[in-house]
Amino acid sequence: MREPLLEFRDVVLPGRGTQVSLAVLPHRAVSIVGAEASGVDAMPDYALALRRPATGQVVVYGEDVGSLSPRAALAFRRRVGYLPAGDALLQNLSLRDNVALPLRYGSNMTDREIQGRLQVILALLRIADVADARPAEANEEQRRRTALCRALVFDPQLLILADPFDGLTTRAAAELYEIARGGETGEGARRTVFMTGQFVPERIEQRIEVRYRLAGGTLEQVH
Amino acid sequence: MRRVALVGALARFFFEALTAIPGITRAGRRVASRVLLQQVWFTALQAIVLVVLLAAILSFLVISQATRELGRLGASELIGRLMVVVIVRELGPLVTALAVAGRSGTAIAAELATNKVMGEVNALRAMGIDPVHYHVLPRLGAVMLSLFGLIILFDLVAIFAGLVAAGSAGMTSARYFEIVLASLTFRDVWITAVKGLVFGLIVGLLPCFHGLRIRGVSTEVPIASSQAAVGTIVTIFVCSGLFVVLLT
Repeated sequence: MREPLLEFRDVVLPGRGTQVSLAVLPHRAVSIVGAEASGVDAMPDYALALRRPATGQVVVYGEDVGSLSPRAALAFRRRVGYLPAGDALLQNLSLRDNVALPLRYGSNMTDREIQGRLQVILALLRIADVADARPAEANEEQRRRTALCRALVFDPQLLILADPFDGLTTRAAAELYEIARGGETGEGARRTVFMTGQFVPERIEQRIEVRYRLAGGTLEQVH
Repeated sequence: MRRVALVGALARFFFEALTAIPGITRAGRRVASRVLLQQVWFTALQAIVLVVLLAAILSFLVISQATRELGRLGASELIGRLMVVVIVRELGPLVTALAVAGRSGTAIAAELATNKVMGEVNALRAMGIDPVHYHVLPRLGAVMLSLFGLIILFDLVAIFAGLVAAGSAGMTSARYFEIVLASLTFRDVWITAVKGLVFGLIVGLLPCFHGLRIRGVSTEVPIASSQAAVGTIVTIFVCSGLFVVLLT
């Protein structure tokens, strides 16, 4: 039996106070869809130890993230890819520097190595030609591609996406989702994906292994 | 009671910034250095014209009036002490700190508050980057360095503007430098230097504190900026008074 990469154990969400228990197994994509008031938005924060749930436990890579010291929490977060809702790109940096920032801060790569890594990942997300623009000069899709680029820059095993498809066309959303999965292996997706939001396009739903709906104060598995 | 809580929160913020220094990695230092240089560019280099202008006008006004009045009393050698005590030691650090607080302090508070509203601070934490390392320490260091440098510039420009003012009242440059240098002691130099560092700490710290303490609503951005400006100005004046009481 494979150990889950991410596990919510009796976690009570803000809002309606829904109690949530679920496990995300490696090589699986798991989505939770719920209205804004359902408290679904808090789940990525809990998983990244940005906030602590009032009750319950969140375990990532086998470790209770609520018990991490602030310094250990920073190191832990560098092992998880995260696409926040609304991109949250740094406005005073170019798209390229936004992607480079975690590499510059969190690795001992030389500038040359960082530039090499950037070339590959910017080309993969098809934003190399706009990489020198500031976020305010880019359109919503380019900003989302940049934010995903930034989340993937360390090639994490686990990727957490918050409202990833908001404001995107179905075609762009499907493309980004496939990049997020990182290709296929015999066991499923190369990367484990946990996503939350208010909706998932139907075309993408078919490619998600486990789907939940958070409604009426309960978490219900729909697939 | 709210004021006491605010001072407590500020002290905690300062302590957190200090204790974050050893935790910064080598790669983190490289990133922070970039932010520090950008902040020095904005705070020091882009403020040179303003500081030169303020120093020249202030010094010219004070020394030209003083030369005339003290000359009538036959005490023109007191211009040296006036220049050192009033301009170099007191007004130089004070006016420069106020100019930097108005120009850069408010900008830092507004920038950090906007970052918080836009979710950028949380995004940094989510990437494993300590916002204190990325936002606070480089700005604190940059403002301290910049203010220190600008105070030296202010004092130098003020001394030369004083020369022009004294010269226009008939004093020779040799006599002017003789009385100014005779009045300048090592004590004046170190008091000015310490003021530069302390005022730099205030102008760097308070805007970061007010900018980052908002809860994330856009209407709080101008409030943070205004609180930073008022808090910084009041603290600079209080500290300036304390320096006079304790060191003179």
